[in-house]
Amino acid sequence: MSYVPGQPVTAVVQRVEIHKLRQGENLILGFSIGGGIDQDPAQNPFSEDKTDKVNGWDMTMVTHDQARKRLTKRSEEVVRLLVTRQGLQKAVQQSMLA
Amino acid sequence: MPAELTQEQSPGNQTSLAMMQEPQEMVEETVTVEEDPGTPTSHVSIVTSEDGTTRRTETKVTKMVKTVTTRTVRQVPLGPDGLPVLDGSSPLGSYTDSIDRRYLKNGERYLPPQASSTLTRSYNSYGEGPDGPYRSFHTHDASGGYGGAELPDGYGSLSRGIGYRPRYAYVPGNTYRPEDGSYTLPSRREAYGPPGAQPQVPPVGSGPDLTVSSRSQPERFQPEPYGLEDDNRSLGVDDEGYELDPDYSTVNRRLPVGVPERSRPHKGRAYDEPSESEMIDERIPYIHGGYAAPLAQPERGSMASIDRLGKRSPSIDSIRKDPRWRDPDLPEVIAMLSHPIDPVKSNAAAYLQHLCYENDKIKKDVRHLKGIAILVGLLDHPKAEVHRRACGALRNISYGRDHENKVAIKGCDGIPALIRLLRKTSDMEVRELITGTLWNLSSYEPLKMVIINHGLQTLTNEVIVPHSGWESEPNEDSKPRDAEWTTVFKNTSGCLRNVSSDGAEARRRLRECDGLVDALLHALQSAIGKKDTDNKSVENCVCIMRNLSYHVHKEVPGADKYQEPEASQAASTGALPRRKKDDASCFGSKKAKGKKNGGMDRNFDTLDLPKRSESAKGFELLYQPEVVRLYLSILTESQNFNTLEAAAGALQNLSAGTWMQTTREKEPPHSWGILSKATLPQGALQPGSGVFSPGTPGDLTRAGPCMRCTFMDRVCVGPLTGPLRPGLVVWVPTWASVCVDPYYRGRSYAMAELVRNLPSRQQRTAKNLEEDTVVAVLNTIHEIITDSAENARSLVQTQGIQKLVGISKSSQSMREMKAASHVLQMVWSYKELRGALQKDGWNKSHFQSAVSSTPKGSKGTPGKAGYDDSTLPLVEKTHDNERCGSRDMIPMDELGPDGYSTIDHRERKYRAGDPSGDASEKEPLKTDPARKPPHRSNRASVNLVDGRDPKPPPVDSWV
Repeated sequence: MSYVPGQPVTAVVQRVEIHKLRQGENLILGFSIGGGIDQDPAQNPFSEDKTDKVNGWDMTMVTHDQARKRLTKRSEEVVRLLVTRQGLQKAVQQSMLA
Repeated sequence: MPAELTQEQSPGNQTSLAMMQEPQEMVEETVTVEEDPGTPTSHVSIVTSEDGTTRRTETKVTKMVKTVTTRTVRQVPLGPDGLPVLDGSSPLGSYTDSIDRRYLKNGERYLPPQASSTLTRSYNSYGEGPDGPYRSFHTHDASGGYGGAELPDGYGSLSRGIGYRPRYAYVPGNTYRPEDGSYTLPSRREAYGPPGAQPQVPPVGSGPDLTVSSRSQPERFQPEPYGLEDDNRSLGVDDEGYELDPDYSTVNRRLPVGVPERSRPHKGRAYDEPSESEMIDERIPYIHGGYAAPLAQPERGSMASIDRLGKRSPSIDSIRKDPRWRDPDLPEVIAMLSHPIDPVKSNAAAYLQHLCYENDKIKKDVRHLKGIAILVGLLDHPKAEVHRRACGALRNISYGRDHENKVAIKGCDGIPALIRLLRKTSDMEVRELITGTLWNLSSYEPLKMVIINHGLQTLTNEVIVPHSGWESEPNEDSKPRDAEWTTVFKNTSGCLRNVSSDGAEARRRLRECDGLVDALLHALQSAIGKKDTDNKSVENCVCIMRNLSYHVHKEVPGADKYQEPEASQAASTGALPRRKKDDASCFGSKKAKGKKNGGMDRNFDTLDLPKRSESAKGFELLYQPEVVRLYLSILTESQNFNTLEAAAGALQNLSAGTWMQTTREKEPPHSWGILSKATLPQGALQPGSGVFSPGTPGDLTRAGPCMRCTFMDRVCVGPLTGPLRPGLVVWVPTWASVCVDPYYRGRSYAMAELVRNLPSRQQRTAKNLEEDTVVAVLNTIHEIITDSAENARSLVQTQGIQKLVGISKSSQSMREMKAASHVLQMVWSYKELRGALQKDGWNKSHFQSAVSSTPKGSKGTPGKAGYDDSTLPLVEKTHDNERCGSRDMIPMDELGPDGYSTIDHRERKYRAGDPSGDASEKEPLKTDPARKPPHRSNRASVNLVDGRDPKPPPVDSWV
């Protein structure tokens, strides 16, 4: 699932809605994220899920830190994600072939 | 009240940053307009592209506020007959008088002073208006009308299609209704001459102040409610029609069916001598559906009359449904500016502001109708409401590329009046309006000096200094204040940014302006401390700094000392250099830096430096070492393109000039420039201050993949005596090309030049390059080949490997060795190159240097140990990652002390062993030798700093 940053991506996505937890002052989601355009994809251990959008914001071209901030915005209790993963892509492709 | 920001860059001022030999002033002009609150706000940005063309984008955002003008209605005491109670002298009457005086030259004045109308009408006999003779005519000629094609432009506020009609239905609720019920709006069949209008206001049918109730003599006018309160008129939807329709009359009024007007022929009323050619250039027939809509007709000169006939006398109820009031037209509005009753003035001004919003024609017409002078006069009005509104109108009028309006404001001493008001008022909104107006005015070249002459010190004292948080006489107990990024500050800094581009004299004035430079720097330090470097105010400040840095070496007192390196060496006799030399602390005064400087002081406090007896202040701050650090911090922090460019430009301005010997590489297509052998003025860099400290090349990856700039490298190493000659090597890509060429695919062009500059064993003495320069070049090469196999290949092809290996194996300098081996390691990491390399006789051992195991810091000077390991271009990235991983845990006060350099505190933190910092900070080069260089690989992963830390995992953040 390679793409050029800034270029449109066609992907099968899954909607995910996460209600954040309150942890002290912060709102947390409860998982960790990796990657970002400032990161080396080869070094990313979590390459399964790709987050394409967070609450409508394009996340395909953000740095790691930007993504983190976007996800943990205190003003937003809920994040709605569009995520994709290779497995999902393949599954859909196969089902279409079949 | 969202501001509209317009940026104009005059092409002549655009410079390539790569033009090192003759660095040009980099100036930007910024024009803002904040439009009136009663109109839809929009964001307009004008960016001048390189060819000088301007593109303008506009986005309607929202409509905001409704200006209520009916207040005045209620404020007018009504007499028993429902008419406003007029005192003996009759304010309204005197109003009329004043109008008469103003507008009437030859016309006869036959109106009784008690005229109750607030509006001037000249329906008849224009003798000679101020603007020239007009053909006289009688407006009460019932048959008179506007011929469709003959219609001149009207000046009404808004063109209304009939489609907008329903909007008025709700309006008249609180407007005055005359008893006789005949408030049908007079149709504007009559033509009204331009400014020569002659007020004729009968006492009849008086209405609320704002009610147009004038009538021409022979005809009886009925007062009619017209609504300035109808602010919904200014909805964005209208604006399109607004643009398309040259008709500016206020309301296209639908006339009741069967009303006599309807049958009136719309014959042109022969305007033989249009006073303003532009007033007629947009004549169009005005016919809306079946409506005569006379009011909406474009009227020449727009002394639109109000229909004064009692013929249409709908009931009040029908008025509600089908109101027949209309807006005052432009001359009426302008006349109302001189109304004796203050609320009328303010409402008129507010309405004018509204009308002028995004309408260049109206602005021009206001000018022609001499409205600007009246507005300027109102600036001195004691009532806040009045001068506020006047100022708002002036702001809108001053906006735009029609410089005539700006000139007109200046022409009636508007600039001193604005400044005067700024000194007088403490009302934030007024201050915003004033400074916004000045910002607008400052975009016009000839006005810049005027603004400087009248307002520089006031703007500095009233806005820049207080909002910057800088205190010239700081209370020792009080905490240093941060800058407040207020609109006022933004506007003012924008204004100063513009005026700072007005040449040497302007620069001198700004530099010498008491407290200005100090305050700007304080604000910028505050911005960095707060990590708030993207906003417009910061951009403005950096731009001012850049402009003031231009030619600073020639223009500051004592500059002649810097002209020659020899002179600068001997400059210890010079006043300025000596002072600088004695200045021990970095960014000058404590007052200017407050606690933010603490970190830096700590950095250098091991140096035995004499105390600064006299801190740098004012323009001296422009070329203190700290300011370079400041710019570098901005370069690494900010994501605002203009800010980045300005900071780079400031550095360029500082590093360019005759006080340094500069050499410039022949310009490749993308124009990189190399400054080398740069000498800085004596004292500008303090011993040990480490301006371009080792390893602080800024990699602007934070600004996104499309902006990358390599800033290399240090000027001073170790205790320095004499001029700081060696090696300011600054790579400045032409910023335009940064945009065009996001990933710098083209940067290999510089390779040959770089390699040529590297010493080979034989050349070493010949070229006599300083260690710093060599290291800088090596780091630059590293930067260039990072992520680019292409560039690495070009390095191989230019026979750079031989030199690199030579340096890495046998250089006298540990730093050079390290830097060279880092480059080699990077080269080797490109598997696809190995074949070629091996063909050339290289093998892995050449690229796997032992240097990385060398203890680092051997060359460090006492105060700079923290920098010493960071000879690599990727340090910034590293820090970035570190921050990603751990910043959330860092208490802010830990970050606080060092306001200058984000590098510093991270370095310290790192050195303090912050584990999370460690985790992402260091990564051995060869972790993944097979990795392909992607567009954007993990730059942290190629951190070459000694390879001391094992295996940093990629960053991931717990969210």
